[in-house]
Amino acid sequence: MSSGYQQAGGYANSFNNNSFNNIVNFNTEIGDEGRQILQWLSPLEPHQRHQGVRIDRLDSVGNWVLETSEFRKWHDAEDGSVEPVLFCYGNPGVGKTYVRYEASCLEEGNAWITNHL
Amino acid sequence: MVGLYCDFLAQHEQSTANMLGAILKQLANRGGIPEHIKEAFQEAKKEFGGRGLRVPDMVEILKKSTASLPRVFICIDALDECTAKHRRDLLESLREILRMSPNLRIFLTGRSHIDDEIAKSFGKTLRIPLSPAHADIKRYLEMRLGGDTDPYAMGDELRADIMRIIPEKISDM
Repeated sequence: MSSGYQQAGGYANSFNNNSFNNIVNFNTEIGDEGRQILQWLSPLEPHQRHQGVRIDRLDSVGNWVLETSEFRKWHDAEDGSVEPVLFCYGNPGVGKTYVRYEASCLEEGNAWITNHL
Repeated sequence: MVGLYCDFLAQHEQSTANMLGAILKQLANRGGIPEHIKEAFQEAKKEFGGRGLRVPDMVEILKKSTASLPRVFICIDALDECTAKHRRDLLESLREILRMSPNLRIFLTGRSHIDDEIAKSFGKTLRIPLSPAHADIKRYLEMRLGGDTDPYAMGDELRADIMRIIPEKISDM
């Protein structure tokens, strides 16, 4: 598809690292104007926090959420027949952020495949 | 897949425009910056001081950006941590984008008290209640006990108590 994705293909063994490197690589490729545009769009840098969560968390914590029928249904739907919004709720400290991280890694893999084929 | 973390400590910078902008930024980063974003940037630059995008502009651009991809997942963490106003505007914006993009899926986490707001924006949603899984807690404790720098100071009985009592207590959360 895009040059960024083809480049990312070389690191396909690890989606986690890949997603971060991809952003870094891209930033050097898009040039000054590209960087200005990204900064103009928003000063927030969510991938930095994502990286922090990746380092802190214990492997596969929160995996059970990905096995629930609600998650599978939400994730696998290809059309408008399934509710497009999934809400995971819980008290402070139960690990919502880590579950969200887990979900996004799975997505990262799929998004990558979708974009690649 | 694009994501966003909300944080009490950064409420000021987490305006609706900045949050939507962060989503847009990640989408733009994926496949090279789309022409329609470049054009909007050039337009904005012409004005004195170069203005930022307004929320309705962002919604329009996000509609175009998501519609051009086969599938888009937006994950937003700790939605309860941004201000009520920003959250309302963010949810309304997402609803508006969803209307035009059947290929978009949204994953939200937050405390249950924002349930009503989510229902108001999206109607029926899929929901998963979260509580720490027993197995996750046990694995975490084993990891921490395994890293004990002075393992001989702890008897087997204390170790067994830790492994039994902590998961029990946490499961009541």
